[in-house]
Amino acid sequence: MRTFSLNRSDDGEVVDPRARLDEISKAKCVKQLMSYQACVKRIEGDETGHKHCTGQYFDYWACIDKHVAPRLFKWTK
Amino acid sequence: MSLVAYRDLIGVAYTEEEVKAMAAEVEVEDGPNDEGEMYTRPGKPSDHFPSPYPNEQAARFANGGAYPPDLSLITKARHNGQNYVFALLTGYRDPPAGVSVREGLHYNPYFPGGAIAMPKMLMDGGVEYEDGVPATETQMAKDVVTFLSWAAEPEMEERKLMGFKVIFVLTLALIQAGYYKRWKWAPVKSRRVIVDVIN
Repeated sequence: MRTFSLNRSDDGEVVDPRARLDEISKAKCVKQLMSYQACVKRIEGDETGHKHCTGQYFDYWACIDKHVAPRLFKWTK
Repeated sequence: MSLVAYRDLIGVAYTEEEVKAMAAEVEVEDGPNDEGEMYTRPGKPSDHFPSPYPNEQAARFANGGAYPPDLSLITKARHNGQNYVFALLTGYRDPPAGVSVREGLHYNPYFPGGAIAMPKMLMDGGVEYEDGVPATETQMAKDVVTFLSWAAEPEMEERKLMGFKVIFVLTLALIQAGYYKRWKWAPVKSRRVIVDVIN
């Protein structure tokens, strides 16, 4: 029997397990996160509208997904 | 879901009476009667799921210009369909820096192009499950994908069982054929040919 639940918050409200799992997986994806944030800083002053950080964004979220995916369905029926 | 009929649900998710009741809730337009007029009647189990829109233009109008695809086969129609649909349903996020989607579209990294017309539809607690399971986004998306996978391939389990049986029997047949061939060829393969002088 689990003593903690990612399905419900402390007051019994239904909460998505992904929120917590994303946070836990962030620790494993620091490199991608730093790279994304560096990109955001680089294009901050950009006015042309053509610069974007989709590549780093995808790398970061692919890393998060890779770590969340095997753990996610434990919290569904 | 225009390729799925109500009767496909019998024995899978509902009993025959429940399916008849579900079908009867819908009005279906049926072919010309003897007077040549189209008439509407309550649905029967043999009818397919009704389309929410009468035609493509109505569908586009109701969805901001986008035509919602028929979902009967969607998990087969997209690469890695089951995972794709699950990721799409749960993947609505803020766009990356530098990307903006126009008014009326929403950002979803899993959708090709990133901008999808459908807004995020699954919210925590959106549905009451009869057995008290917490209705998280993940749970609801999983159930939706399970249903769509069934709708696309209702025969999947039977087909795979049949596949195992066929492979097993054919393997036995292969072994038997191999043994029989070797047995028949044994005299030929084990004969000795001697070249000798005639004397």
